[in-house]
Amino acid sequence: MLGALGLPVGASAVLIAAGAFSQQGILSWPSTALIGLAGAILGDMFSFGMGHYAKDAMQRRFGKSPTWRNARISFQKQAGLAIFFTRWLITAIAIPTNLIAGGSGYKFTRFLIYDISGEIMWILLYGGLGYWFGSQWELVYDFISNFGGVLLGLVLFGFGIREVIKRQGKIKKS
Amino acid sequence: MAGIRTRQRWMMIGLIIIGIIFTAFFGMRAFRAFKKFDGHGHRPPPQGKVETDVELIRDWMTIPFIARTYQVSPEIIFEALNIPPQKDHDKSLKTINDEYFPDQDGFVVSAIKETILANQASLPPTAPQPPTAPAP
Repeated sequence: MLGALGLPVGASAVLIAAGAFSQQGILSWPSTALIGLAGAILGDMFSFGMGHYAKDAMQRRFGKSPTWRNARISFQKQAGLAIFFTRWLITAIAIPTNLIAGGSGYKFTRFLIYDISGEIMWILLYGGLGYWFGSQWELVYDFISNFGGVLLGLVLFGFGIREVIKRQGKIKKS
Repeated sequence: MAGIRTRQRWMMIGLIIIGIIFTAFFGMRAFRAFKKFDGHGHRPPPQGKVETDVELIRDWMTIPFIARTYQVSPEIIFEALNIPPQKDHDKSLKTINDEYFPDQDGFVVSAIKETILANQASLPPTAPQPPTAPAP
């Protein structure tokens, strides 16, 4: 929950470690998974709420900007995928995604559906890796967190390239 | 308008550069982590197989876990450490070390390694499997 609120507690590391500890009987796997899931969803709901309550202020500040309007529209189109994948694959941008979802007026029930699906995936994948690799859980975390960084880099790179292509197209048309 | 276009162009260049830097930096770190990986976790081996390499013992493990992995009775380990089995059943080796031997860093791990090695030495050696004849 604290991780989902943006505090640097290393939630993924804790989850992988919890998987390893469940394997050797220190923790009970079903209750650990349920508590982890509930905490993560609660934290996401809080950060969505923060975005939601900052919506008016953001609208006043940026509402007239076409870039802000375009960003809102394009987020609404891809929001489901963004919410789902940032829960477990590109976790570094999960909190900004929650804030943007709340701030852009994304429907809460829809957010919750994608959020719960993504968090279940996160629990199963990360906890499962910890359970499966046992004593190597630190290496698993090291690999996964860096792999997330690679994906984030690829997303930024891809986004930049897409914008270049779009721009080239506009120039050709005009 | 021209100012906005220039700013947008710089933003695109910035995104691409940051994307490349992130991919290269985290890619190298991920590759390094992957190389350290030996492909299997130190889980208790399946029924019938016994782990023998005591160097795989880590201070986060518990005594019942080690007992199951190395097929040693947990009582033997508790006895070797001279600590009560019921009370410390779910504690990690690090916690046990901090609690009972705070001035001897790593004592519990090395004592358990010695106990397991001694236990392995006391067991009768398993007969080597005869080579199977190649099929005609």
